Amino acid sequence: MTDQPILEIDKLSISFFTRLREIPAVMDFSATVMPGEALGLVGESGCGKSTVALGVMQDLGVNGRIVGGSIKFKGRDLCAMTPEELRDIRGSEIAMIYQEPMASLNPAMKIGKQLMEVPMIHEGVSEKEAYARALEVVTDVKLPDPERMLKSYPHQLSGGQQQRIVIAMALMSKPSLLILDEPTTALDVTVEAAVVELVKDLGKKYGTSMLFISHNLGLVLETCDRICVMYSGEAVERGSIEDVFDEMQHPYTQALFRSIPLPGADKNARPLVAIPGNFPLPHERPDGCNFGPRCDYFEAGRCDAGFIPMEPVPGNDRHQSRCLKFQEIDWNAPLQASETTEKPEPGPVVLKMDNLKKYYEVAANALFGGGDKKVVKANETLSFEARESETLAIVGESGCGKSTFAKVLMGLETATEGQILLDNQSIGDTAIESRDTKTVADIQMVFQNPFDTLNPSMTVGRQIMRALEIFGVGVNDTERRDRMLQLLDLVKLPRAFADRMPRQLSGGQKQRVGIARAFAGDARIVVADEPVSALDVSVQAAVTDLLMEIQREHKTTLLFISHDLSIVRYLSDRVMVMYLGHVVELGSTDQVFSPPYHPYTEALLSAVPIADTSVKKKHIVLEGDIPSAMNPPSGCPFQTRCGWKSKVAGGLCEKEVPPVRMLAEGHQIKCHLSDADLSDMEPVIQIAAE
Amino acid sequence: MEPLTWTGAVGAFLNPIFAIIVGLFVIALIVQLVLGLFAPAMTLQANPDGTLAGRGGALGATETAGKYLFLAVIALILVYVIAPLILPYGMVGIIGEMSQRFLPVWIALIVTFTLSIIYRRKLGLYGKLFDSTVGMIGFGIVMFWVFTAVFVGLFDWIATHDYLTQVSGLKNKTPGVPVPEGTVGDIPHYLLGGDNLARDIFSRVVSGSTFVIAIAPLATIFAFMVGITLGLPAGYYGGLLDTVLSFLANLILAFPVILLFYLLVTPEIVQTGIPSYMAAFLFVFPLVFFGVLLNSRYYTQPAKRTAILVPVLGILGWLYLSIINQKGTVIDFLPAWMDLFDITILVVFVSVVFVNAPTVFRIVRGLTLDLRTRDYVAAAQTRGEGAWYIMLWEILPNARGPLIVDFCLRIGYTTILLGTLGFFGLGLSSESPDWGSTINEGRKLLLIFVHPALPPAVALLSLVLGLNLLADGLREESLKD
Ligand SMILES: Nc1ncnc2c1ncn2[C@@H]1O[C@H](COP(=O)(O)OP(=O)(O)O)[C@@H](O)[C@H]1O
Ligand code: SF4
Ligand code: SF4
Ligand SMILES: [Mg+2]
Repeated sequence: MTDQPILEIDKLSISFFTRLREIPAVMDFSATVMPGEALGLVGESGCGKSTVALGVMQDLGVNGRIVGGSIKFKGRDLCAMTPEELRDIRGSEIAMIYQEPMASLNPAMKIGKQLMEVPMIHEGVSEKEAYARALEVVTDVKLPDPERMLKSYPHQLSGGQQQRIVIAMALMSKPSLLILDEPTTALDVTVEAAVVELVKDLGKKYGTSMLFISHNLGLVLETCDRICVMYSGEAVERGSIEDVFDEMQHPYTQALFRSIPLPGADKNARPLVAIPGNFPLPHERPDGCNFGPRCDYFEAGRCDAGFIPMEPVPGNDRHQSRCLKFQEIDWNAPLQASETTEKPEPGPVVLKMDNLKKYYEVAANALFGGGDKKVVKANETLSFEARESETLAIVGESGCGKSTFAKVLMGLETATEGQILLDNQSIGDTAIESRDTKTVADIQMVFQNPFDTLNPSMTVGRQIMRALEIFGVGVNDTERRDRMLQLLDLVKLPRAFADRMPRQLSGGQKQRVGIARAFAGDARIVVADEPVSALDVSVQAAVTDLLMEIQREHKTTLLFISHDLSIVRYLSDRVMVMYLGHVVELGSTDQVFSPPYHPYTEALLSAVPIADTSVKKKHIVLEGDIPSAMNPPSGCPFQTRCGWKSKVAGGLCEKEVPPVRMLAEGHQIKCHLSDADLSDMEPVIQIAAE
Repeated sequence: MEPLTWTGAVGAFLNPIFAIIVGLFVIALIVQLVLGLFAPAMTLQANPDGTLAGRGGALGATETAGKYLFLAVIALILVYVIAPLILPYGMVGIIGEMSQRFLPVWIALIVTFTLSIIYRRKLGLYGKLFDSTVGMIGFGIVMFWVFTAVFVGLFDWIATHDYLTQVSGLKNKTPGVPVPEGTVGDIPHYLLGGDNLARDIFSRVVSGSTFVIAIAPLATIFAFMVGITLGLPAGYYGGLLDTVLSFLANLILAFPVILLFYLLVTPEIVQTGIPSYMAAFLFVFPLVFFGVLLNSRYYTQPAKRTAILVPVLGILGWLYLSIINQKGTVIDFLPAWMDLFDITILVVFVSVVFVNAPTVFRIVRGLTLDLRTRDYVAAAQTRGEGAWYIMLWEILPNARGPLIVDFCLRIGYTTILLGTLGFFGLGLSSESPDWGSTINEGRKLLLIFVHPALPPAVALLSLVLGLNLLADGLREESLKD
């Protein structure tokens, strides 16, 4: 290893110029990446992570410009290069991988051809050699049947496979620097885990340096050697992973860690601490410290006085913090015990699913309907009960039938077989049009995408009032308006928001309005479909807490759909794990999160990145992707990816769907494994003694 | 009286200056183009206040020169426009007098633009239009014709003579010809000459604008009502309904438009009552549209709903009956006192709506297919909203951007259609001053006299161009947030 850094960013400032004003997207940003090193860049969306990456690529578009500082790549200043030199470097020495794999692939060209183009253009190698190289990298990124892959078009592959191809393409030219901008955000957790694993291995194998951009602290912990935390256009803390995770020296980093659910957090005894306030827009930044208005240690007259430089933390290697008071703050002071609450006793059963099945018939041939019909089994024999003021989490990856289940429950689809009992009344066959207002108002939903959940052309107040009208609340508009304002109070939004348009609200605020709308008719059962997964970490905690608080007050039954096991462990009482329409495991949170597990639960647990250096995880990487529900495997739905299959004698897993087994009171799994094998299972997550 | 020349006495000394400046401007443009081929790529230079600065060098210099020359050209044009207001009659010739006639239009335009630009930040998409040069030019041209039509139609301003009066001796006379002593009229000249029936071309062209400006937007609105009312359910429900409606739409679109018009205005066909029945069918859509729109919104409060719905539907219903009820056609059942008006050009109206609706249908259907997957639609479904509420209040408002753009384009298209109808003399009286008919009249002697056909053609062209520019501006601005 030489001592010359691969990438050296020094006091970089980047601005975008619009008709109205200059938007300083990145200010005074410095970073160094040594050969073979992986640097993680974390921060909330809009803090300037992507802009840094695009600045390194010198690809800022027409209105973006580097207004200060320098970017050196292997000692050469990128800003001073001619367009030809840049093009050359971009193709062969720096490669970038974006969040959306399809953005980097040409949909009309076979994958093999796209891969072969890279060395053929940049190095002028022969077609044969290029093919050999393509085959090699596709094998390296662990895609099944590489030769067939090279012959297929991008749309014939799944999202995870596409992202692997993009990585393969980036590796074709053997770059010395790989920039990954949220490469796995669009993927499922188990697929994400596999892709991250791959990136790590390849980095080692090829000796590539990496700039890994993510909003997920856990992912950065797993992939990187060093980390740089950004807030509102500035780097606020920088250092090795161990230093920053265990000896953080900036209030923002600390607040970030306190707002994510780590093992040990508990909604009643140790609730998350949300960061108060909102992320400032680039042109509304405060004087002095950008984090000032949200900082617990803010000191007027000092923190808002002027520019705050990055200062080295004495005693640590290359560890720096942009805070005036980091030497004064007692970083080991225990968290101010925030209110703890009593765990409410679950009340009577309100919702009961009994052998619920939902099959869809789809024409096998889209153009000429009729003929062959295929049956998609979206939900197979779902049975469970949910009690008053209980949180039941439904966990599973995309396509496992969570959304179908929600639709049937809401009445947007009717069940194929089985029953849904609400207060012992069957509603499974009643479509929403024929349900009475009370039933409709009782079961409401909070949606995933904050940017989609509100009608963009109606004021916030109007949308809530409409729900009130529909649910028959209040006798006239004045009464409904009062009630609407109370609902805004309930979700802790200022009353002035009633007259705002949704586009004037931030993601977290929109999600709060969505919650207020769901509770307009005093819903007793609320289905929350990944309500916080699209929000930034610092906002997630606040929205989650709000949901919990309303639930406690209203004794609501919460069905919390998620794929994020950290948050599930934090807030749910019971967990139901689904895979391809089957409930593979159901039990109380403690039962599900400790062995014995269902093999799929075990894999899920191991896939979730945890931002805690003291946690040791068992390493399970699932092969392949989730099979399509159109074409489920025979026998156990999980058998194509299961690592335990060999322990079951006689290939039973491939022949028979396993029966539901009770392991303990209230704990059931669907697996053929013997009791002995199950009890041999080790815990996936272990917290090292401190 | 002397005949008027184009630019009059003032022109004698202004015209050479004008020619020189325009010449210089063209040269600057060419130099700029040539230099542009060799100049280095555009780099951004920021001013200290964060705005962008222009670039220097030879290219920068020509760019600046071009800008100033362009301003000079505009200033001179303004002189031609403003001078006649102070100078006595005839000094600035035909151009000056025309500009003088359009004075109310200029004032209206200036007021509109000033107010709009001052308050543009509060005016939503309309206000943003004033950020786009293309959009402003388009809007300016369109409003020029709108104001002209309004002032001619309502106050009888602008037009100099009666557009039907024939004055002997002025047949096919060239622009600026003096009228004989004692002719009724505001000024003693035919500004743009006389047509082959010795009528004033200028007055005919400005009067013709009322026809286009009244019919084109109205017909387009009707087409939108039909297209929206059918397109929403087709996109929302999909399935068989969608297949059938889409097939019908394609069928109509595949039919040659002109042939369709010929068929509809053929007296035999009119006799059978087909156009009247079509009118009865097509014009019921606004009624349905507003009925469903209001009902879906207010059905939870029956008292309020009735209070709103009854008057609205009452008035619309009456208008509807008045429109379709025509004396002497198959639909003639209303007592005369109830029949508010007869539309003489009902056939034209029907045809235009009929051929435009399928395209609107397809656009709305496409937008609906996209928007129905949104979470706020799902949210409406899960609180048990009716399908029509979701379509009209949750989906339609969010499809408005592309629809407004298409609306502008479609008015332009309708304008051309109306011109074509007039040109072929379909469904309009031969005396009608509409631009299509006037062009057709002028066409007959085109090889000898160009001046009768040119003004209506330019008018038609400018209006359509203006609408297209307006649509472009709107599209551009609605894409920015
Ligand atoms: N092309 C652009 N024009 C104007 N502003 C931009 C542009 N691209 C990004 N920005 C602004 O720059 C800031 C940083 O954005 P970005 O680098 O994308 O953040 P991140 O990747 O951390 O989410 C944001 O406030 C964003 O609005
Ligand atoms: S400088 Fe002040 S406001 Fe900023 S992070 Fe440090 S203590 Fe907080
Ligand atoms: S039944 Fe077999 S394949 Fe399925 S999860 Fe259990 S061990 Fe794995
Ligand atoms: Mg980004």
